[in-house]
Amino acid sequence: MKKGKVKDSTNGLRDFQNSVRHHVRYSGGKALDQASKGDLYEAVALAVRDRLIDGMLETDERYKRQDAKRLYYLSLEFLMGRALGNNLYNLGVFDLAKDALTDMGVDIEEVRDSEIDAALGNGGLGRLAACFLDSMATLGMPGYGYGINYEFGLFRQEIDNGCQKEKPDHWHSEETPWLIQRRSEACIVPVYGRIEHYQDKSGNDNPMWMDWKILIGVPHDMPVAGYGGNTVNYLRLFSARSSDEFDMQIFNEGDYFKAVQQKMSSETISKVLYPSDSVEAGKELRLVQEYFLVACSVRDIIRRYLANHDTLEAFADKVAIQLNDTHPALAVAELMRTLIDEHDMEWEGAWEITKATLGYTNHTLLPEALEKWPVPLLEHVLPRHLQIIYEINRRFLQQVSARWPDDGDRLARMSIIEEGEPKQVRMAYLSIVGSHSVNGVAELHSELVKTTLIPDFYQLWPERFNNKTNGVTQRRWLLKSNPLLSELITETIGDAWITDLDRVRQLEEYADDEAFKKQFLEIKRANKERLAQIILDTARVEVNPDTLFDTQIKRLHEYKRQLLNVMYIIHQYMSLIEDQKQLTAPKTYIFAGKAAPGYFMAKLIIRLICSVGEVINRDPRVNGQMKVVLVPDYRVSLAEAIIPAADLSEQISTAGMEASGTGNMKLAMNGALTIGTLDGANIEILEEVGDENIYIFGLTVEQIQEMRNGGAYNPWDYYNQNPNIKRVMESIGSDIFCPNETGLFKPIYDNILHQGDYYFHLADFQSYLETQEIASRDYNDPSVWAKKVILNVARMGKFSSDRTISEYAREIWDLRPVV
Amino acid sequence: MQVEDRKEGDVLVVKVLNKRLDAQAANDFKEKMTEYINNGSPLIVLNMSDVDFVDSSGLGAMVSVLKLSGGDGQLAVCGTTERVARMFKLTRMNKVFSMFEEESEAIDALSQ
Repeated sequence: MKKGKVKDSTNGLRDFQNSVRHHVRYSGGKALDQASKGDLYEAVALAVRDRLIDGMLETDERYKRQDAKRLYYLSLEFLMGRALGNNLYNLGVFDLAKDALTDMGVDIEEVRDSEIDAALGNGGLGRLAACFLDSMATLGMPGYGYGINYEFGLFRQEIDNGCQKEKPDHWHSEETPWLIQRRSEACIVPVYGRIEHYQDKSGNDNPMWMDWKILIGVPHDMPVAGYGGNTVNYLRLFSARSSDEFDMQIFNEGDYFKAVQQKMSSETISKVLYPSDSVEAGKELRLVQEYFLVACSVRDIIRRYLANHDTLEAFADKVAIQLNDTHPALAVAELMRTLIDEHDMEWEGAWEITKATLGYTNHTLLPEALEKWPVPLLEHVLPRHLQIIYEINRRFLQQVSARWPDDGDRLARMSIIEEGEPKQVRMAYLSIVGSHSVNGVAELHSELVKTTLIPDFYQLWPERFNNKTNGVTQRRWLLKSNPLLSELITETIGDAWITDLDRVRQLEEYADDEAFKKQFLEIKRANKERLAQIILDTARVEVNPDTLFDTQIKRLHEYKRQLLNVMYIIHQYMSLIEDQKQLTAPKTYIFAGKAAPGYFMAKLIIRLICSVGEVINRDPRVNGQMKVVLVPDYRVSLAEAIIPAADLSEQISTAGMEASGTGNMKLAMNGALTIGTLDGANIEILEEVGDENIYIFGLTVEQIQEMRNGGAYNPWDYYNQNPNIKRVMESIGSDIFCPNETGLFKPIYDNILHQGDYYFHLADFQSYLETQEIASRDYNDPSVWAKKVILNVARMGKFSSDRTISEYAREIWDLRPVV
Repeated sequence: MQVEDRKEGDVLVVKVLNKRLDAQAANDFKEKMTEYINNGSPLIVLNMSDVDFVDSSGLGAMVSVLKLSGGDGQLAVCGTTERVARMFKLTRMNKVFSMFEEESEAIDALSQ
């Protein structure tokens, strides 16, 4: 099967070659025989971009003709990864491009390897946004991403002597062939200043926003092709520029150095993506970033709408805006401000439009991750918006008061403004009050949002709450990243699964077919060999593809419990060297993930993983039964290499803490079996694949809540009663894994035993250990294992982001395909 | 700061000739306008048709002039380009100034 439907005829091959030659010469300024791999990548990308632009203009025309409703997905993060391969597959020209380049003596894989990931996100939230763009385009829906064109994406991770070192990730935002600059659509964004009250012409109080500074938002569009190439939407990323770009006269007339300084400070706004968990450090800049995105987006969306409509009355009929978490929550105030101040609407009308337009997706249950901004800071940065937020809150609390008279506690709980020193604006509450829809991202998570996170709001507006279980695009995560498995699936059931993942259920018929199982396992073996080479090249550890590849690949965070995995590894190691027990299945433990630069405990856990790996990997007594490796610089392109090679997928967060997870879906889709807690979307994976095809362990949300509330959890009880736990903890507390740095891992030991083990590592340890044992036993029987693997792949239909987007479109956005 | 002025009956028409009314021009502008008001011109039409950029300092200067012309005086603004009009709306200053598209409309309004 050719990858994708090839639209081009044989002439297409020559056209493509001519286009590449043209761009090498006239865009790159080089003769073909002097072009480096990087030059060739640029030229190939530009050749592909030409086709994307044709598709984008045609798509835009189609939407205009039908006056289609459009969806704008506002997100501070879009983790796009590499674009070339994905675009080639989705345009249906992968094989054509490969043949064309081969004919020119160029290896397409080497060209693809020259591309730098667009790492404009931290993890799941940003990657979800990228998957959604792919699905919207594939479904022919007018959906656009709106984000920031960070000059530096998430930092590049280097591991130096077991320690994470952060290096700047300069992804060449200005030079990437995928972005089209739209200077003529730049918009003005005022920020800072003060409010001056003055009477308007009718004698009423008129607050005027004075003394602001101006930023200019310059949009850059990254085309997003749907599968088949019929629809090409785009991701619009804004770069911050100083106002001098609006009028260069400042350089001619004014103080040159002052002007340059001002220009630099303005451009800082889109300089760098904040790593999650470390926003505290640069609060003001982050707030300005959030506002910058929102202001540029609202301005741009209204401008586009008014290009084809006379008034804003029916705005919400033609525009939907989704807030990806609370980061763009200021959209509530900005849309209100724009409608009232700039378009002279009355409050009530503007409020109805705002609510009908906006929807809010909650992504976290962790209280510390719920955004709040100090009132004095907001007043300093956005004085007019603060006024509007106060007015929204005043009217909202009137509503609450009317429903629950004399309930002061409830008013305080629900107020958008949290009392205290200083007062803070609760961005989640602002989002809920200003949206017509509030959704969680997995069934369990959505329930917990209603029952534990914000029950007061659920009581007030139950109809506003809904669930949209996350999904991932099978085009990137299976078709593109696992070509061998994709081909096997297509040969077996046809290629309809590429746009309708429910079709993979037909593979169930082959779950007992020994020949099919063998093919399946051979593909996994080939993918593992490929990964083994990458591990050798990057982590300098030789691993054996015949061992079970046990993978935990995700951001480092205590709630995700990489530590529980390490504790189990230490237990295995101790069983091997002290108890002389043979391990049930030889294993390679593969970690990948970044820790926020300021997150001490997460960085120490990285250190522990590396140190444990160092000790185990060189201990001759282990005799090939275990290897531990942390593959540096986890990013989309690395995930695409690890996921197809994984046997076991570690999804072991403390129950109730992972909103959904999407790595769990990608891994299962690629034939890795899940070992996981009853958390996030693991529960729905369990429902789909059946409990005999997944390894579930650990405490439930209810059990954890009960133990937490009743103060019943004492990690010492587990330590004292379970010799395995005691031995593991003492190993961590001792210098076995840090012979040259006494006490290095003592903070982890103390955190677990002396500070209450907030994430219940010890409570879940024994259950985890026993479940790991079951998984290892199953792995030793390839026929049993292969059947489970096939059934997992076959039952992943629900976890396509096509399904998720169809639900959002139908139930929240009222968005239809325009084909 | 360059302006040109002429009398239309009781109304003084002041045309701003600079392309920018920004931090650099704001003080000059304020001084000039203060001079007109202090010299007994209570009715002023400010023709902004040549101005294509106003920043918050420029707008601040205009508000000061408006306040100064208060009491018996009146200030009308005309001919703002789309970009400048957007700045007025953004600050809600369009609600305190009498704004007209054409100069003649502004003169008529102040003459009544």
